[in-house]
Amino acid sequence: MNDILLEIKDLHAGIEGREILRGVNLTIRRGEVCAVMGPNGAGKSTLSAVLAGRPDYKVTAGSVIYDGRNLLEMAPEERSWAGIFLSFQYPVEIPGVSITNFMKAALNARRKAAGQPELSPAEFLKLLKEKMALVQMKGEFAKREVNVGFSGGEKKRNEIFQMAMLEPVLSILDETDSGLDVDALRIVADGVNRLRTPQTASIVITHYQRLLEYIVPDVVHVLKAGRIVRSGGRELVDVIETQGYDGIDG
Amino acid sequence: MDKQLIIAGKDPMPSLLRLGAGESLMLTIIIPEGVSLTHALEIDLDGPGARLDLAGAWKCSSDEQVRLQVVVRHNVPGCTSEQLFKCVVGGKARSGFDGLVYVAPGAAKTVAHQQSHALLLNAEAVAESRPQLEIYADDVECSHGATTGYLNPEELFYMRSRGIPEEEARAMQIEAFLAPILARAL
Repeated sequence: MNDILLEIKDLHAGIEGREILRGVNLTIRRGEVCAVMGPNGAGKSTLSAVLAGRPDYKVTAGSVIYDGRNLLEMAPEERSWAGIFLSFQYPVEIPGVSITNFMKAALNARRKAAGQPELSPAEFLKLLKEKMALVQMKGEFAKREVNVGFSGGEKKRNEIFQMAMLEPVLSILDETDSGLDVDALRIVADGVNRLRTPQTASIVITHYQRLLEYIVPDVVHVLKAGRIVRSGGRELVDVIETQGYDGIDG
Repeated sequence: MDKQLIIAGKDPMPSLLRLGAGESLMLTIIIPEGVSLTHALEIDLDGPGARLDLAGAWKCSSDEQVRLQVVVRHNVPGCTSEQLFKCVVGGKARSGFDGLVYVAPGAAKTVAHQQSHALLLNAEAVAESRPQLEIYADDVECSHGATTGYLNPEELFYMRSRGIPEEEARAMQIEAFLAPILARAL
């Protein structure tokens, strides 16, 4: 198995004709937790949107190779089937669709794509209960409409629940700490840590060091004005904490 | 409460209904895909305490033309009418909904609510909605609301990012949109 899971080279991308990423280079290895930190407007959310395949973001140059495949040619659902998962900064409400039906559709679509039979109702329920327990969600949670009327903490726990259900190879956590109190943060971080394996990797995107006290990164990259300007070990988090982003340049 | 389900193209469509004192009617009209029609339905609330709960749903996906005109008349005091209409319009189909709520002079304590919502699947589809209120009495509670919109691209992307193929994600959104009315037909 190839050690390198994701290789981003000279990636330029933007939205509505505005270039936001201006030559991102980034390599993610299996087993790694990689933090991407940066100030507001650095391009952190654009990077996660481009990796997940958001249709309104346009890639103008560069390449992204994921597990030996050209990621930029894949539809969002194909990326999901290949093991990419984005935990949204702002999870979307889907009125009229229950969490149960949503996850059933997601899991069975992936199994179909892999040529596997659908899960039986009993198998599905067992999995649902097991993964709900991971983020301390109670029974009635599965009957609720996706994210409708959820608190900020519930929305983020729902993201991690979905991540647990889909067992991604590469998970991208976009500002998962925003809007979370410390208890919810701990539940979310605990869920993410328990899903770590030597074959999978995570990109943790954050403005603050707070989340990284709970999800400890192996590598830290600083994104500023659409480029990675510094990379290092977890000690870089402390440098940012004391000096701020102004003190860090390429 | 009297419950009635009418499937257009299969069941005869009523043109005039009357509710007397204390009578209740829960009426659901479904217009299946492929059915074109122009129809006018008038409902008179003629006795105090009459209650109407009316809902309609239709889905047009090719070149159907649906034009539904509904007139609900509150002729006496103390009647209630609730109306909910939802349509999904795709292809080159056209949908028109005219809804008039009339409150006669002296029909105090009337409660009348009407909602009509259209979901367009493409730019060629057309949905028109003309809600009207004609109120000639005081001390009434009347409202209407109409929306027309497309499938939400944020929802579509969210579903696709979880591995649900685009077509299936669209179908799930359409089903969720119509569900409140289809559930009445069960």
